[in-house]
Amino acid sequence: MADGAQVCKAWGRQEILSLFDPDTGLLDRRVHSDEALYQLELERIFARGWNFMCHDSQIPEPGDYFINYIGEDQVIVVRDQEGQVNVLVNSCRHRGNALCRAEQGRAKSFVCSYHGWNYGLDGTLIGVPGQSTYYHGALDKSRLGLHKAAKVESHLGFWFATMDPQAPSLHDYLGHVGRTGLGMICAHGDVEVVDGIQKNVIDCNWKIAVDNLFDWYHVMYSHASAGSSGYIDLAGILHPKEQLVMLDNYGHAISGPGVPAAAQAGIDQMSDEARAALSRETEGLQLRPRAATELMGPVGVRSHGHPNLFPNLWITISGLQVCLRLPRGPSKTELWWFTIVPKGAPPPLRAAMVRTATHLFGPAGLLEQDDGENWSQTTRAARGVTGRTLGQFLEMGLGQDEARRSEAGEHYIDTQINEHGQRWFYRGWRDWMAAESWAELTASLPPLPEGRL
Amino acid sequence: MDTLDRGRAAAPWAGRPAAERALVQFEIEQFLYAEAALLDARRYRDWLGLLADDIHYWMPIRRTVTNSDLEREFTRPGDMAFFDDDRTVLEMRVKKLEAGSAWSEDPPSRSRHFVSNVRILDVEGDDISVEVAFHLYRTRLDTEVDSWVGRRVDVVRRTGEGLRLARRHIFLDQTLILSTNMSTIF
Repeated sequence: MADGAQVCKAWGRQEILSLFDPDTGLLDRRVHSDEALYQLELERIFARGWNFMCHDSQIPEPGDYFINYIGEDQVIVVRDQEGQVNVLVNSCRHRGNALCRAEQGRAKSFVCSYHGWNYGLDGTLIGVPGQSTYYHGALDKSRLGLHKAAKVESHLGFWFATMDPQAPSLHDYLGHVGRTGLGMICAHGDVEVVDGIQKNVIDCNWKIAVDNLFDWYHVMYSHASAGSSGYIDLAGILHPKEQLVMLDNYGHAISGPGVPAAAQAGIDQMSDEARAALSRETEGLQLRPRAATELMGPVGVRSHGHPNLFPNLWITISGLQVCLRLPRGPSKTELWWFTIVPKGAPPPLRAAMVRTATHLFGPAGLLEQDDGENWSQTTRAARGVTGRTLGQFLEMGLGQDEARRSEAGEHYIDTQINEHGQRWFYRGWRDWMAAESWAELTASLPPLPEGRL
Repeated sequence: MDTLDRGRAAAPWAGRPAAERALVQFEIEQFLYAEAALLDARRYRDWLGLLADDIHYWMPIRRTVTNSDLEREFTRPGDMAFFDDDRTVLEMRVKKLEAGSAWSEDPPSRSRHFVSNVRILDVEGDDISVEVAFHLYRTRLDTEVDSWVGRRVDVVRRTGEGLRLARRHIFLDQTLILSTNMSTIF
């Protein structure tokens, strides 16, 4: 595990901590433009943290694989003959060439196109052309298997991987907020990913694409044209005075509309049949069934906002889609959209959900079209000698709200539109970047907030 | 007709007399050029006027796959796509462009729609199926450049009011979309 010591000469611990002030909401714009900080992010955030890989339904059979990334390391996510999911660095151990050049498919083994080295689905090196002749039988294949992620675990069918053996279990990493987020997707039952991942590139820093998902302030303005086109009733989805924020360890957060506690208390008394009937009558939010409270927690079940699983997995539209924000340099981000429907959904329901996903988000989405340029111009401004000194002011709602803790241990705020989620994200980012190891990160985590925030 | 069937010989139509084919070829090409000119001139409301009520405007997602997996190169109808629009959604796209708050198109993009390699695939009643190669070039602001190249299968329909576009299936030659957005009409 690289420790970032080399680039740390440029950015010491105190300097990193000074890049964001949680007490004022002042963010140093260099976090969106500095190359050395970006390299440190790849080591201290992406190689260290748990990264979303894919859903079970994308690789159902042995040999099925899906290509994803941990930071800028391309990985093969593959199910082997025993049904085990492996995450292998897509780089031949001989010279480093990519083994898989398709983005998905089914393989019996992975053969390098350079010299023909052949690897099993678990990454074992099984064949080397000329092993007995050119290598004189002296090559120790056992030490040249593909590099594997240190840990690969799943929650509710969603697979994650980390390169750091010191990382906590996925369950502990996700915490309440992560489990609420994934539970949101599965609240109505088992799910599957629809074929087709939308992918596009935006010239922005990945963190701007992440912090924007907590931002319900921009919706009425940035996306005004999606409202006036008649596509979406922005006021109807926004609920500006009924916002629920949840904050958790490692920078995870949820922000957005939430069912008020009193209304949820009423829902909690209803049978699943009554909830389904009411959802049909009102054509509003789908009321979640009783079992959802188990998956999402007593406060989490009230959320219809946007979870971000630190660092870069957004769960959106109450779980219809997830979107990865993959870093490609300080000024470039790939967006990957995964669309999720109930397993075995009736064709009309499935079609309606797929249409919503197609028309709302992705590069051609009526809503999403207008985000990219805000992010790329914000990133661009962070590069100027003067521009990068000007700061960003994330102070909305600061010191105005009460953070509470539920009996289940969830930390949350019932409030109006705010910037708590963005502040929590950059505070988490700062802690990850300043810590040299998992032990140091865990020790430096701030207590989860209770009281005035 | 399966619009995914690439490189298919245009058999039935190809057997018709050359004079008849040349006339239709000219007519269709002129229609497609005029339609492209409306889009490049940002006359979106006029462009809507060229659409049949049952238009299907669709761009599936293309993937990098191995030769053995080519049947999965494009997503299928009903799975995820970049565009899967009927007339109502296309009207919303135009309303959005006219709204005065479509920031991704204000200042507006500059686009040029090139249409070439025009091949009439089939004529069935009033519906003329045509395959074209396209190049849609767009620039935005000072530095944004997008170059979208691909294959299109359109259905152009003869009606009492003239030719109308009844289907546009767009098969882009990109997998990862190398653009901030696709706020342009293809």
